[in-house]
Amino acid sequence: MSQIETTIRNRREELRKVVEAVDRIAAEHYLDADVVGDMQVALDEVLKNIVDYGYTDDAEHEIRIRLRVLDSAIEATIEDDGVPFNPLESAVPDTRAPLRERRIGGIGLHFVKNLMSEVSYNRIDDRNRLVLRKKLTA
Amino acid sequence: MDVREEQVGGVTVVQVKGRLDSTTSPMLGERLSAMLGAAKARVLVDFSQLEYISSAGFRVLLQAAKLADQNAAKLVLCGVSGKVRQLFDLGGFLDLFPITATRDEGIAAVS
Repeated sequence: MSQIETTIRNRREELRKVVEAVDRIAAEHYLDADVVGDMQVALDEVLKNIVDYGYTDDAEHEIRIRLRVLDSAIEATIEDDGVPFNPLESAVPDTRAPLRERRIGGIGLHFVKNLMSEVSYNRIDDRNRLVLRKKLTA
Repeated sequence: MDVREEQVGGVTVVQVKGRLDSTTSPMLGERLSAMLGAAKARVLVDFSQLEYISSAGFRVLLQAAKLADQNAAKLVLCGVSGKVRQLFDLGGFLDLFPITATRDEGIAAVS
């Protein structure tokens, strides 16, 4: 088992560091491209959400990401000190609305819930902790 | 992500390679807006070299499709397969955009 920890600031341009970290741990373990793609999409959705909506001030905040490859899954733990937010309680988006009425809101978390094998959320002290797990085999 | 543009007849073919996520999609959005801002533009986006697309990428595509609508321009997608197709399906986007299997079919559809 190996792990990578990285801390980013709550800025969009910081997200590429996480993409690179996932690539690195995936390469070390020769992970399947589809598994890695699903984890990359899920992390993009979760982190973009935190950066865009997680804070009520304009201050700089740290978001901690820990990546681990376990026996049968890749796991990402995301911790932030933003407003309490449980992605598992987000509304299901309308994926059948026509173009003019289509809204993108909610689609990202819909992806997270559907692409990941397991998602768990905890509010610990003043922090959100989200754990994403994706099985290495179908 | 790598975006390559090519003129085929009156059609602009946009080949998108790599990953379309919140880091890379603003760049594609700017390019598509510039192209589709012109009246009656014909744009084919080829996703056959795309690894994955997140909601930030879909947001850019939705904006582009709405802009095409307003300007009587045409936007068609092709090469939507594998992981990318699965994400289109999951988000309910397969019926939202005109999509063809191959680039040649796409050029015919958009012309």
